[in-house]
Amino acid sequence: MARRIPLRVSNNKAFVWDIDDIGILRADHHICGVLTGTLPHLSQQNVFLGAPLLLMPEEVVLLVDKQLAVLADDPTAHRTPSVDALRRWNADRAAEAKQQIALAEAKEMSQKTAKMSMSEEAIRKRREREERRAAAARAKALAEGEDPDAIEASGSSMTPAAPTDQRPATPNAQAAPAYTVTLPGSSSDLAWYDPEGCRYESIADAQAAGIWTYPANLHERAKCRVFRDLWEQGNFMGGGIRFGGDFLVYPGDPMRYHSHFVASVVDSPVSTIKPMELVAHGRLGTATKKAHLFCGWDDEKQEVSYFSIEWAGFG
Amino acid sequence: MDDTLEKPTFVSVPKVNADGDEEDAQSSGDEDQGPDWTKIPAAPSARPFIPKRGEKDFEPTAAGGSGLQRHVLDRSRHAMLEALSAPRTISSKSISYAVWCPDLARAYVTLSRGIHFTTMGHSVARATFVGGDVNKIHKRLELLPEETLYLVERGAMLCWKASDLVLTDVPGLDDVEGIPMTVQQAYAEMIGTEDLTLEKYQVFAYLRRLGYAVTRTKAPNPEYPLPPPFSLAQRRWPDTSIFDAVLHLLRWPFLRLLNFFAPRFNWWRPIRLECLRPVDSRGLFSSLRFLPGGHDKPLHITGSSKASSSPYEIFYNVYKPSTPFKKTAPPPPDYSIVVVNARTTPVPTLTELTSLFDVLPELPPPLPRKRRPFAHQKADAVQPPVPASNATQPTSSLIQRLFPWAFPLSSPPDPVRNANPFLSLKTGKKMVVIAAVDAGMTSFFRLGQGVFTEWPMA
Repeated sequence: MARRIPLRVSNNKAFVWDIDDIGILRADHHICGVLTGTLPHLSQQNVFLGAPLLLMPEEVVLLVDKQLAVLADDPTAHRTPSVDALRRWNADRAAEAKQQIALAEAKEMSQKTAKMSMSEEAIRKRREREERRAAAARAKALAEGEDPDAIEASGSSMTPAAPTDQRPATPNAQAAPAYTVTLPGSSSDLAWYDPEGCRYESIADAQAAGIWTYPANLHERAKCRVFRDLWEQGNFMGGGIRFGGDFLVYPGDPMRYHSHFVASVVDSPVSTIKPMELVAHGRLGTATKKAHLFCGWDDEKQEVSYFSIEWAGFG
Repeated sequence: MDDTLEKPTFVSVPKVNADGDEEDAQSSGDEDQGPDWTKIPAAPSARPFIPKRGEKDFEPTAAGGSGLQRHVLDRSRHAMLEALSAPRTISSKSISYAVWCPDLARAYVTLSRGIHFTTMGHSVARATFVGGDVNKIHKRLELLPEETLYLVERGAMLCWKASDLVLTDVPGLDDVEGIPMTVQQAYAEMIGTEDLTLEKYQVFAYLRRLGYAVTRTKAPNPEYPLPPPFSLAQRRWPDTSIFDAVLHLLRWPFLRLLNFFAPRFNWWRPIRLECLRPVDSRGLFSSLRFLPGGHDKPLHITGSSKASSSPYEIFYNVYKPSTPFKKTAPPPPDYSIVVVNARTTPVPTLTELTSLFDVLPELPPPLPRKRRPFAHQKADAVQPPVPASNATQPTSSLIQRLFPWAFPLSSPPDPVRNANPFLSLKTGKKMVVIAAVDAGMTSFFRLGQGVFTEWPMA
């Protein structure tokens, strides 16, 4: 694997900010995570969310253990920039604004000239129309035997003077012209963002550095191993809280396919499962067209065993 | 479905507002239905746009899916990445600016524009050092970390981070007020300050995106405006005027006298006195109850009370978009929201629930079902019904006041006599919303305090 994906860790949560990395995680590593940020251009709804991608702790442990990703302490990676770096950043910003204003002005000029030519055309047409009307009136007057000059005089007095309403300068021209500001999302482009020195290639290192705690006990360890085992069989995994389990198991990308199993993790082969749990899981799983999967982790043998439960459906 | 249309004031938990939710709710696995990214415009569009959830296949065919399946999947992925990489852009005429102070855990706004500031931010007088040691106190608009982060993430504000760098005299930096913060940096540094966890921020952003106004329930600093406290005492005991108090004083010796002569309450003959007045089932049942019941009775739990470390504490006050909201004097909230981490928090205990409900006000009884034209419903939605007050009680004569036991109650406290009790039992008298967040997925639960003791059993 050429490049390990950096996972930005802060407050014991791991985020992915680079859009390309989100794509790679999904397509190559079958890791989906949950998008949690507001989409800037669709900011009034919760169906479609944007970067950052928040990873489940089990996903993080898997990615780091498989050497597909590294953990980076995000608050530390944002260094204090030097004054020079800041000045360069501001110069870039000013240059972009200037370029946008220049572009907008050029566009406005071309539009203005187009409008101007159009209005000249309109004036010419109106004059032609008036001349035609005047000629018609004169002809009519001649036919009725009146003095054509009188008509001519009254006609000219009626026609208004040449349009002098030269448009006042647009108010925009006096104020500073508007331009579009692009707010930075990911920090990767910043000159002073440097994750060197706070990258951790294993979970143990990150735990030693105090930026990551998962997995801290037997139950969390069991969840990580069950997750890993199901993932290694080619499944996509999602969070199962809405179906009363720990994970959802998908046969393909959750974007296109339904999940087949709701998995719940049982810590050890000797832990008890209550009959009420069986009924609840069986009932919910059947109602949602899924099977419930009990995944037992044997910490001594280091292996996972699976039991699925479904209503048998004898009338 | 019909019922919620009938009762616009019916309190319901804000739910996922997908357009296709109603169809989804009927089909199986509604939450399994993912958003269909191919139906979303990559570029900002002029018309408001309600995205829809899409259809899914059962499973890919063997060997990684058929050609069509792979094509559709690629298209969806591409659309998603396209939508994700749309830049945060805003016109220079509508952008706001703020400076984030890490040591204060607040951002102060240096340029405020737009509608967001009608529901966010509060003004605080801070002493600022202007040249040497001249400290001047002036008011400024400050934002909490979640408000700052939301505005930055939404692309409405550029936030600077206050720093020790001397930027004032440097050429080319005259419009820079600190280190510019990216959204990533804001996530990394603002979450974790001032009691804000990622879960709490996600709930805040979720509700803000839907248009709710969200404020903190506990003031993080003294200047933070809070709604007036719920008048719990007033609801429990009807308010007494001065006249009533004087009357009570006059009546008091008579009552004492009466109590002295009247025999003590006899557990074995609880309804002895009832022969004096026409017996109604309600009074009969209440006198038959020999174990005190109801939520106003104290909870007899002597176990170790770890109330201080309970994760079930109300964190946000939430206002519906239709509620008139004034930032400096917020009204009583429409919802109180508790945010918990679903991975680490167990289901609330009875003690935790009781202490939650103890600070919440009683809700007005749910409206009886009636078919009304839509215009009336709208009028009702604007003016929420006030709880039934005692002002409508007919004034009782002196005799009645002196010997209340001799007269049957003219108006029973229960306002809806013939109403269907199930709606009221289901809604409960007090309500709290619990948001359980598991790694980015938020579920809202509405917990109501049932009032089974207050309804007649027959």
